[in-house]
Amino acid sequence: MQRPDWAPDTIDIERPSAARMYDYYLGGSHNFAPDRAAARAMMAAVPEAPLMAQANRAFLRRVVQYLAESGVRQFLDIGSGIPTVGNVHEIAQRVAPDSRVVYVDVDPVAVAHSREILAGNDGATVIQEDLRRPAAILAHPEVTRLLDFSEPVAVMIVAVLHFVAPEDRPAEVLRTLRDALAPGSHLVLSQASDDGRDGTGERAEAERVYRRTDSQLWFRGRRDLVDLFDGFDLVEPGVVWVPQWRPESPESVEDAERAVFMGGVGRLS
Amino acid sequence: MTDGPESDRSCPGAFARAWAKAVSGTSYLPMTQAQLEALLHRLTGRLAEALRSEPFDQRIGQQVGAELVAAHIASAEGLGRTVEVIQLRLLRDLGLVADDGEDRMARLLATVATGYARALRDRTLDEQESIRRAAMVARAQAERALRDSEARFRHQANHDPLTGLPNRALLTERLTAAIAGRGADRVGVCFLDLDRFKVINDSLGHQIGDLLLVAVGERLRQAVGEHLVARLGGDEFVILVERSGGADDVVRVAETALAAVRRPAVVAGHELTVSASIGIVEQPVDGTTPGELMRAAGSTLHWAKAAGGARWSVFDADRNERELARYALSAAIPAALERGEFLLDYQPLTSLRDGAVLGMEALVRWRHPQRGLLRPDAFIGLAEETGLIVPLGGWVLAEACREAAGWGDGSAPAPFVSVNLAVQQVRRPGLVDEVRGLLRRTGLPPERLQLELTESTMMSTAEEPVRALRVLADLGVRIAIDDFGTGYCNLAYLRGLPVTELKVAGEFVTGLRAPEPASRTDERILASLVSLAHALDLTVTAEGVETAEQADRLRAIGCDAAQGWHFGRPGPAARHLTRSPALSGTPAR
Repeated sequence: MQRPDWAPDTIDIERPSAARMYDYYLGGSHNFAPDRAAARAMMAAVPEAPLMAQANRAFLRRVVQYLAESGVRQFLDIGSGIPTVGNVHEIAQRVAPDSRVVYVDVDPVAVAHSREILAGNDGATVIQEDLRRPAAILAHPEVTRLLDFSEPVAVMIVAVLHFVAPEDRPAEVLRTLRDALAPGSHLVLSQASDDGRDGTGERAEAERVYRRTDSQLWFRGRRDLVDLFDGFDLVEPGVVWVPQWRPESPESVEDAERAVFMGGVGRLS
Repeated sequence: MTDGPESDRSCPGAFARAWAKAVSGTSYLPMTQAQLEALLHRLTGRLAEALRSEPFDQRIGQQVGAELVAAHIASAEGLGRTVEVIQLRLLRDLGLVADDGEDRMARLLATVATGYARALRDRTLDEQESIRRAAMVARAQAERALRDSEARFRHQANHDPLTGLPNRALLTERLTAAIAGRGADRVGVCFLDLDRFKVINDSLGHQIGDLLLVAVGERLRQAVGEHLVARLGGDEFVILVERSGGADDVVRVAETALAAVRRPAVVAGHELTVSASIGIVEQPVDGTTPGELMRAAGSTLHWAKAAGGARWSVFDADRNERELARYALSAAIPAALERGEFLLDYQPLTSLRDGAVLGMEALVRWRHPQRGLLRPDAFIGLAEETGLIVPLGGWVLAEACREAAGWGDGSAPAPFVSVNLAVQQVRRPGLVDEVRGLLRRTGLPPERLQLELTESTMMSTAEEPVRALRVLADLGVRIAIDDFGTGYCNLAYLRGLPVTELKVAGEFVTGLRAPEPASRTDERILASLVSLAHALDLTVTAEGVETAEQADRLRAIGCDAAQGWHFGRPGPAARHLTRSPALSGTPAR
């Protein structure tokens, strides 16, 4: 019998998960042996991997802080991964307790874990969906229950766009999301970039590691990222290496390109 | 340990900054650099407190270690650098001096490392437990979703989407289980089909038709829902009586079902009254299969339909047997033609004037490998029903022409051959070409071929085939009406047809044998027929002539020729050809 396409996936924890590898880079223990083995292989190829993850996580923290202080009260964090430390709702609700956050991840373990973490928090929830199905995300009852799209919403696509292949049309995904947003909404993007790293072989090695996992890696340059902000006005300083985005101290910007991640924030006017 | 004389040089802020710098980047710290420095500044105070405590308080160092982990400064590097920076700078930056300084420092580092390692171990175990739990929850959810989807999938696979009733797959499954004998000894099936459902679809559209099917399905479910009611497709429904006590039980179910269907239904504003027919099979579960049972139910349904519909029929094994045998026989015709199992016998048409054999009617026989020699009444009807009469009749025509071409030695005119044509053969467009081709190939003169058509064939023949017959008649081929007098043919109509001969049905001739006065009536009818036929320039042959008395009376009436046992039974052509015309007036044996 042919299984219909609405049949659910099974859970295979023997397969490295990008979400749990990311947790490992951040120093967490929310991971299994296959995740750690893959993460160590990645670190052997790209020694900066933990630094990248930390820099990206710090970027997320500064961005949410900035948005919350700018008055944004609604967050849609797509590709949220394993909730470890410094989650969006923790940062946003510290600034404004009435902030509402919907996490979205495709990894069922990450979703189950998030659900446990969020139990009892009326302002935050999690759904299992795929970034590549933006219409399904927007129509999800939990999303429409918690978020009011007639008011500004910050859509966070942080450290996940590099898992979206060109044939999955990331620009269309973003357009669908943008069309649902009210003026004053924001788009936050960050993703692995190979700008200025041609020929080091690291990229190929990193791609090889991720081929064993549930997600493939697709690097994009700064130009590509700027294009993906189509329709948004880039907030200063634009698309930069993530440590360069509104840094808290001058020394944290040293060797910023070692962070591998580029990111930026766009505002819908 | 006390503050040294240079305590004014105590600088915990510088130490905290150095500490913060040391641990930065060892793991992700969800705080700003300022927040980190503030935290470490506070912990620096705690470390100083520990160094000063008297006696040495182990708990403080352990708490500092635990607090570092709680603040997510939680990695091996974080601990290593913390130990390093404390060892190198703490005493100096705080301006602390003591005799037992080294000793105290060692104990402080030991307590910090202990507290740190203990907290990190607990945290690691907690996180492992929590991710493991999340994986289990996710797996349980996935499995539940899989079960739900499988149940949904199974339901979809087993049910008809239109009516929601079980479909053929589920019916077969349940029927198989019933026959496998887990239930009762006997099983019953009602195969229901709506009468003239196509008319509703054609006149009101498929949408209304579908709604009617939904309504019928719902009624059946309400009326006989204690049994499995399945929809096979189209307007076919099956009620499975899994525990039958006998045919009466199943008949009762069928009657309930028929009554439920018969009630007028309002469908999309149309009041529709439909009836249904049901084929019933009820039998012991032993020695049957679901396929056999359903085939039997299907045949029985056809009996109910053939009897006019709006009724049930119960399966009759003997009748089924006969029909199957007939079916098998007709299915064997094409192969039998290929293998040459058919042959022709001939029966003479004898002149009543001089006893000469005028012609011979070709009669087909089937030398069946199992059933022996079969006469036409065993298979011609079937061949006509199935359309196989066309190839079979074609073979008969060709074979008759071929054989007839060889008749006669030239001393006397050879008899014509008379071949029966079925209505399907007459209606085929290629008839004229076929006959022309045969005559050319065999060399048989056209006037030595007679085609016999029944009265009903003639009457049901449209304009185009009549034209074909006329072409053949113009060629010289004789056209005879077979079994004349049994249908509704009238002589006025005959006048317009290219007919040369009437063959009067045996029924009239049989009457000539009866005692007076009934035979007088038949004789008068025959006499009128003959004189009318002659008036139309047609010759008359009487069929079924069995006695010399009949032959005499026919001769007296003026009938031209006769055919029947009195003049010769069907047999090989040679038998009739060798008979001398002088002897032909006497019965042939």
